[in-house]
Amino acid sequence: MERDLVKRQLKNGINVHILPTEKFKTTLIKVFIHQDLGKELVTKTSLVPLVLKRGCSRFPTAQKIRMYFEELYGADFDADVLKKGERHILVFETDLVNEKFIGGKNDILRNGLLALREIMVDPLVENGGFKEEYVVQEKDVLKREILSLFNNKMQYAIERCIQEMCKDEDYSLFRYGRIEDLDSIDKISLYKYYLEMIKTNPIDIYIMGDVDPDRDFPIIEEAFSYDRGQCKVLKQTLVNKEVLKEKTVFEKQNVEQGKLSLGLRTYTTYSDDDYYPLLMANGILGGGPHSKLFQNVREKASLAYYAFSRIEKTKGLMLITSGIEIGNYDRALEIILQQIQDLKNGHITEYEIESTRKMLINSFRETSDNPSATINLYLDGIINNRNETIDDMIKQVKEVDKEEIVEVSQKIKLDTIYFLTNNKD
Amino acid sequence: MIGEEIYSQKLQCGLPVYLLPKKGYKKKFAVYATKYGSIDSEFIVPGEKEPIKVPEGIAHFLEHKLFEEEFGNIFDKFAELGASANAYTNYTNTAYLFSCTDKFEQNLELLIDFVQRPYFTEENVEKEKGIIQQELRMYRDDPNWMVFLNLLKALYKKHPVRNDIGGTIESIQYIDVDTLYKCYNTFYHPENMVLFAVGDFNPEAIFELIKSNFDKREYKPQGEIKRIYPDEPEEINEDIIVQKLSVSEPLINLGFKDRDIGYQGEKLFKKDIMTRILLDILLGRSSDLYRELYEDGLIDDRFHIDFEGQRDYGFCVLGGPTKDPETLHRKILNGLTKYKDSSLNEETFARIKKKKIGNYVKGFNSPEFIASAFISYYFSDIDIMKYIDVLNRITFEDIKSRFDTLIDPAYHSCSIIYPSS
Repeated sequence: MERDLVKRQLKNGINVHILPTEKFKTTLIKVFIHQDLGKELVTKTSLVPLVLKRGCSRFPTAQKIRMYFEELYGADFDADVLKKGERHILVFETDLVNEKFIGGKNDILRNGLLALREIMVDPLVENGGFKEEYVVQEKDVLKREILSLFNNKMQYAIERCIQEMCKDEDYSLFRYGRIEDLDSIDKISLYKYYLEMIKTNPIDIYIMGDVDPDRDFPIIEEAFSYDRGQCKVLKQTLVNKEVLKEKTVFEKQNVEQGKLSLGLRTYTTYSDDDYYPLLMANGILGGGPHSKLFQNVREKASLAYYAFSRIEKTKGLMLITSGIEIGNYDRALEIILQQIQDLKNGHITEYEIESTRKMLINSFRETSDNPSATINLYLDGIINNRNETIDDMIKQVKEVDKEEIVEVSQKIKLDTIYFLTNNKD
Repeated sequence: MIGEEIYSQKLQCGLPVYLLPKKGYKKKFAVYATKYGSIDSEFIVPGEKEPIKVPEGIAHFLEHKLFEEEFGNIFDKFAELGASANAYTNYTNTAYLFSCTDKFEQNLELLIDFVQRPYFTEENVEKEKGIIQQELRMYRDDPNWMVFLNLLKALYKKHPVRNDIGGTIESIQYIDVDTLYKCYNTFYHPENMVLFAVGDFNPEAIFELIKSNFDKREYKPQGEIKRIYPDEPEEINEDIIVQKLSVSEPLINLGFKDRDIGYQGEKLFKKDIMTRILLDILLGRSSDLYRELYEDGLIDDRFHIDFEGQRDYGFCVLGGPTKDPETLHRKILNGLTKYKDSSLNEETFARIKKKKIGNYVKGFNSPEFIASAFISYYFSDIDIMKYIDVLNRITFEDIKSRFDTLIDPAYHSCSIIYPSS
C-alpha cells in the first residue's frame, strides 16, 4: 500500500517530496523554508507567519482565509516556525480531506494547494510593505506569545536550562524570538526580508496522501513555479562546544512544584555514525516507564510524577526533566546523577536494552501511521544530510549493541543543572 | 462513504467488544474502559442498601494503582512486549490502553488481565500518594487547568463535576485499601465496561481471543449500580472566581451552564453536534465576533471554544489569555447577542456543517482519536458512526433554538487568573 518516496525538483530549485499512500483520509502538505537561526533574524522569521496568516492578495483578511478553508470541508491550515539545531524553519501546512470520502468532485487538493501558495507567495502588500495594521497587531501577538512561555513551567524550565547552557550559542535563542527586536521591525523591512527568504532560501515541499506523482505533480508545479534566485547555503550547527565547568542555576518563582532540568552535551548528532547507540542510551536513561529515571525517581523513591530525558538530535543535546517537591532537590539530583553514572559504567540490564530497542522500533513503525510525524522525520534527514527511510532507521536500531551504548554514553557531559524553585524560604 | 466499519459483539459476561479494522496501519491500539469517573463519588453497591460516599479523586487513584502488580509494575511487561501502555481518568470514565506494532494478541491479553487483577496493599497505596501529590501540584502550576477548574466551581453548586478529577492533596490522604477494593468491585465488572480495538487485524480472530480470555473468568450478572448525584439547581454558584498565579498575562474562561439536560443516546448526540456548530458560528475563527476581538487585541490564536455534554450536566467554555479580561468578558457577552442575527444565517450554517463533516472524516486518520471519542460517546449510548446522519438532520431552526436555550447571560460564570506580581 505504501510506495516509495518520490523526489523531484521544480525549475526554480524547490524540492518536492511525494509520499504516496492510500492509508489516510486526508492529504497533508507541508512547505518548509529553511533559515539560519541567528540573533538578527530570529524575531523577523517568527513574525512572518503571523503576518502572512492575516491575509494575502486573494484573501485580504484572516476571516476570508478561514472561510475559504472551511468551504474546503474544514481543511486545516497553519503557519509557524520550528527550531532544529541552529536552523530556524518556517512551516506552512494544510491537511485536505480526500474527496472520495465526502462524495462528489470538489478539486479540494488543487484548491487547497493554490490557496496555500497564495498565502505564501502573494501576500497583501501596500506601499512596498506588508499591511501596516497587521504588522503592528502581530508584533503585539508575538510579544505575548514570547512572554507566555512563562506560563508553562515544565517547558519554561527546559527552555531556561538550554538558555543557560548555550549562553554564547545561537541555539540559546527562543524559537519565537526576542522582545527587544520588535521595535526595530517595520512593515517594509519585514516584507523585504521575507521576499528575499522565499527567493533565496532552501525550500522543501512534502505531500503525503493518496496522490499520484505523475498525475498530481503538474498541480504542484502550477502552484509553486515562481521566479527564484540562487539558493543560499545555510550554516552548520555548532556541536563540539567543550564543557569547561558545570553550571548550577537556581531561579525563584511563585510555584507549587519545583522543576529540575539537567542539560547535557552528547557530542553526537543525527549525522554521526553513533547516533543510534545514543538513541538507545537516551531510551535506557529516561525514554519511558521502563527507563532508569522513571523506575528510580518515580517508582522506587516516589519523588515525582514525571522524570524523563530526551535528545535534540541536530544540536546533540540531552535534556532531563522532572517535577519534584522543592525540599527533595538534593535527593532527586543525587538519584538522577547516579542513573547517568550507571549508564556510563555499563550498569545496564538486558531488560533495559531490549525494552528500549522494542520501544524505539515500535515508535518508528507507528510514525508511518502519522503523516505529520513522518514528514518531520524526513525533514530531520534533510537537515542532517542523512537520507533514510523508516525501515533503515529500524534496521539500525536493531543492530546496536551494549558496548556501543556504553561507548557513546561516556562522551556525554553534564553541562548545566537548572532548578525552578519557589520564593518561600 | 467514509470507508470504515466497526464490528461488535457482546460477550456472555456482559462485556461489549468493538473492533475497527484499519488496513495498512502498523499501529494496533486497544482501550479497555469502565464507566466510572471522578463524578461517581456516591453510589449504592449492587446488592447493598446503603449508599457510600468515597473521597474525591479515588477513580483516578484506582487508575494509578491498577498498574501495580505483586511482582512490580505492569509497565515493565508491556515494555518487554514492545508496547507502550497508558491510562486516563476523566469526569465519567476511566480508560486503560496500549499501542503496539507487534505481538498485539499478547498485549491485549495483558491489558485485560491486569485491569481484572487488582493488587492493593497498605504500603503500595501509601507510596502512590507521593506520586499523585506531585501530579496534583503539577496541575496547580498549570494556569490553563486552574482557570478551567475555577470556572466549574463557579458554574456548579453541588455536582461533583466541580471537583478536580484527581481530588485534592487532602482528600487523597483518606484513600485506603478497603475503599479502593469497594470501588473496584463495583465499577470494574464487564457489564460496566467496554473494550475497543483498532488496527490491521482480523476481527474474527480477535473476538475469539477476547472471548476465551473472559470465559475463564467466572462473572455473575452484576445488576444495576445506583449512582447518586446531588440535585444541582439551574442557577450558577458564583458569577466570578478570581485567582492569582505566576503567569505573564491574565487568562479568562467564560462558561454557560446548560439547563437543557437529562438526555442520552441520539438526543444527546444531536444536542452535542448542534452546540458545537452553534459555538463555531458565533465565535469560531471565521466569525465576525472573533475578528472583532482579535483586531481589538483582546484575543489571539490561543482562544478556544469547547462543549461538554453529559446526561446530568453540560457546559460550554470560551476563553484564553488576554491583556484585558474585563473588557473581553463584556465584549463577548454583548457580541454574542449583537452578532446573533448577523452570524446565524443559513449560508454560515451550511459552511460550518461542511467543516464538521471534513473534521469527522479526518478524525479517522488517528486511532487514538477514534478510540477516545468512541469510548466517551459509547457510555452515553451514542454510536459515533451515526455522526453524519445525525448532523444531516440538524436544521437551521435547531441551531437558532439552541442559541436560546444555551446562551443566556443569567446562567453564565466567569473565571479569571491574574498575574501574581
